[in-house]
Amino acid sequence: MRRDVFQAIADPTRREIIGMLTQNPMTLNTVAEKFEISRPAISKHVRILTECGLITINKQGRERFCSSKPEKLKEVADWAEKYRIFWTGKLDALENFLEAENKTI
Amino acid sequence: MDTTPFVIERTLNAPINRVWEALTDRDKMAKWYFELDRFEPVVGFEFSFTGGSEQQTYVHLCQVTAVEFEKKLSYTWRYEGYAGNSEVIFELVAEGDKTHLTLTHKGLHSFAENGPDFAKECFAGGWTELVGNLLPKYVETP
Repeated sequence: MRRDVFQAIADPTRREIIGMLTQNPMTLNTVAEKFEISRPAISKHVRILTECGLITINKQGRERFCSSKPEKLKEVADWAEKYRIFWTGKLDALENFLEAENKTI
Repeated sequence: MDTTPFVIERTLNAPINRVWEALTDRDKMAKWYFELDRFEPVVGFEFSFTGGSEQQTYVHLCQVTAVEFEKKLSYTWRYEGYAGNSEVIFELVAEGDKTHLTLTHKGLHSFAENGPDFAKECFAGGWTELVGNLLPKYVETP
C-alpha cells in the first residue's frame, strides 16, 4: 500500500483524527474514545497516519501521545493551491470578458 | 484540515443577467472558460472538456447538479479514468449594476487517492499558464 500524505487523507476517519490532533496532542486512548468504531480500527488508522508521516507517537510513561506534523499537510495545501491559481485565472478571464463586452454594448 | 472547500469571491463589473449568460451560454463560455460542444443549464445535463498539457490531457466530466436562474449554478467535476469527484458552485448576488460572484470548489480531497503524481501532472505543462495569462490577454483584445 502506498504511504504518502494523499493516502493518509483519503479516509474520512483519518482526516478527523488529523483535525483533532492539530489542535493539541492526545493519547491514543483519548483519540479512540472520540469515535464509535473499534479500538483496533482506530489503531490501524493511527498506524497508517504514522507511516504516512502525518503524526508521531511519543511514549511518556505508560501513555502514548499522538501529535500531528502539520508541515506534511503542506503537500495537500499545494494541491489545493493549484486550483486556487486555476480559478483565479479563470475569474480574471471572466472579468476581462465582461469588460470587453461592456465596451461593445 | 484541508478538506474544507475553497471559495473565491469576486465583484464583477457587469449586471447579473450578463454574468449568468457568461456562465451558461456555450458561445460566451468558450470566450473565457472552456470550449464545450454543448451546454444547457438544466439539472442532469452532462458535458465534458479537455484540459491539460500537450503531453498529458485530462478529460473533465461534469454533470449539472443545481440551476437557479441568475442565482446559482453547480456541477460535478471529475476526471475520466481517475477516482474522486468534486463539485463547482457558482453563486450570484446583484449589487446594483454589479454582480457578486462566489465560486466554491468542494471535494478536491477526493482526488487524493490518485496520488501526488496525479496532482502534479494534472496542472503540469502550462495549463494554468494558458488559462491564467493567455486567455485574459486574448479576451482583452477587441
